[in-house]
Amino acid sequence: MAEPLLVVENLQTHFRTPDGINRAVDGVSFHVNAGETVAIVGESGCGKSVTSMSILRLIPEPPGKIAGSIRFQGRDLLKLSEPEMRSIRGNDISMIFQEPMTSLNPVLNIGRQIGETLRLHQGLSAREAEAKAVEMLKLVGIPEPGRRVREYPHQLSGGMRQRVMIAIALACNPKLLIADEPTTALDVTIQAQILELMRDLKRTVGAAIVLITHDLGVVAEVAERVVVMYAGKKVEEAPVVELFNTPRHPYTQGLLGSMPKLGSSLTGTETRLAEIPGLVPSLKQKIPGCVFASRCPHATDFCVKVAPALEPKAPGHVAACHYALKEGAIAA
Amino acid sequence: MFAYVVRRVLATIPVMAIVALFVFSLLYIAPGDPAAVIAGDQATPQDVERIRASLGLDRPFLVRFGEWVWNILRGDMGVSIFTNLPVTTMIQQRIEPTLSLMILTLCLAVSIAVPMGVVAAWKQGSWIDRAVMGFAVLGFSVPVFVVGYVLAYIFALELDWLPVQGYTKFEEGFFPWLENLILPAIALGGVYIALIARITRATMLEVLQQDYIRTARAKGAGQTSILFLHALKNAAVPIVTVIGIGIALLIGGAVVTESVFAIPGLGRLTVDAILRRDYPVIQGVVLLFSFVYVLVNLLIDLLYTLFDPRIRY
Repeated sequence: MAEPLLVVENLQTHFRTPDGINRAVDGVSFHVNAGETVAIVGESGCGKSVTSMSILRLIPEPPGKIAGSIRFQGRDLLKLSEPEMRSIRGNDISMIFQEPMTSLNPVLNIGRQIGETLRLHQGLSAREAEAKAVEMLKLVGIPEPGRRVREYPHQLSGGMRQRVMIAIALACNPKLLIADEPTTALDVTIQAQILELMRDLKRTVGAAIVLITHDLGVVAEVAERVVVMYAGKKVEEAPVVELFNTPRHPYTQGLLGSMPKLGSSLTGTETRLAEIPGLVPSLKQKIPGCVFASRCPHATDFCVKVAPALEPKAPGHVAACHYALKEGAIAA
Repeated sequence: MFAYVVRRVLATIPVMAIVALFVFSLLYIAPGDPAAVIAGDQATPQDVERIRASLGLDRPFLVRFGEWVWNILRGDMGVSIFTNLPVTTMIQQRIEPTLSLMILTLCLAVSIAVPMGVVAAWKQGSWIDRAVMGFAVLGFSVPVFVVGYVLAYIFALELDWLPVQGYTKFEEGFFPWLENLILPAIALGGVYIALIARITRATMLEVLQQDYIRTARAKGAGQTSILFLHALKNAAVPIVTVIGIGIALLIGGAVVTESVFAIPGLGRLTVDAILRRDYPVIQGVVLLFSFVYVLVNLLIDLLYTLFDPRIRY
């Protein structure tokens, strides 16, 4: 079998801060096959955004430091020079960000911003780039693309701006699209439209997607495989259906339990939403045992002392939990 | 947009009227009686009275103000008490060196200060940043005349690369013109460069934190494009504002600089006129400087729309 499109191995992204080293990402490994959608989920501060930024090497170094290996089409991105890296950004790998309101440059028109990647990576002239920009706007479902291309971000709504971001990201037919919370800042109805759009475009463009999100609803909607991160570490990975049906890690179970169920109050089965008590631990101290032990309802002394390894639980399903290992699946 | 320009131009009229009123009242506010000065030490009170009447100083304030404004609108700024030449002629003779000095200083300062500020912001905390900030403090704290004399001493007297003082008309060639003006422009530009570099650095630091800069990086844009296109265009409004405000610094500094380098410009004319209490000339020059300042700020307001499409009128 050929190597997957993207292989991240033992990724460690650390930040030097005045009061110690912040291990934002600490030994994360995963892979993405061509055309596949992989979701990375976790709470705020679990390192999922830093993981995505590390892939494109958008972490400022210093204070950041990226170690491990990130192989894209067989090339280790961490060993490339800055100009080589630039020719990959926005071309082979592109990225959509969480904040469509602030991620577009307010003083450049839409056409110029979409055209920029085309001019950089495909050597198009200004006029060709604008023509292609109009095409891209049409592709992402913006009405009157010929007029919109001359407009500025402040003249567009949040949903429209995210469509423009997608148009920028897809302009050069990337092999991999990293979407960092692409729908979080949008209204629910717009969220659905954007997800629908991403799914459609995935079919037409054929790019693999790494979807960073904390919204399990979105994960269920679009992802094929899910990586669950907690405190800078991968704690579980499984195909999406399996993860939702038989989550092995107590943290994943907690995440699923804290998801509101639509209509539960109407059927009379209304229950209090489960929450995970406590907060993500500080990433500045090295935790000897399981990173989740301090918040885990099943934690034992053993968990606090010895870090669990990622163990296969089922085909394609790994989890890092002693408890899951000994007792089998924990009743949710 | 057109309506805005018209409105903005019309708005300068009341401003200029107030400036004119102020300039005109200088004659009343300032100590000393021009009639007595002209009449000299030997004059009798009758002589002084006669001269005052001949200057029209005995008529009511508003009448004289109205007449004065009306004359200026027709291009007549009165006659110098000292030289008996029309003020407009005197200004015409002196305006080229001053305008040359100010434009050269402006171009020099902007083309040095903006890249300096941009690079300092990019390399924040590095030795380049510290050097730029150090230079800025120096630029603020050393007066124009000190810089002027030091520069003249080093480059004109010791190294003999440039003339010590004087002015060569632009029509006699670009390089002779530049030779005479380069030292004054550097001396005058010091504060201005410091001011623009500092504001550029501060604004750029803020802009470089923005999400759209990260987007530009993620698109594969190069460092130069990120700094000078994506970031600088967003930082332009405050920078341009300071450049405009700084014109006032240049006008004030030009007076001193022209004295140091013996440039026959409006600054020297102003100083001489003040020493001689030559009110028509003082009024003419101050009015002209104010007009230039108002005009520059109008221009800057219009430039905003060019840099930032969100500014609508």
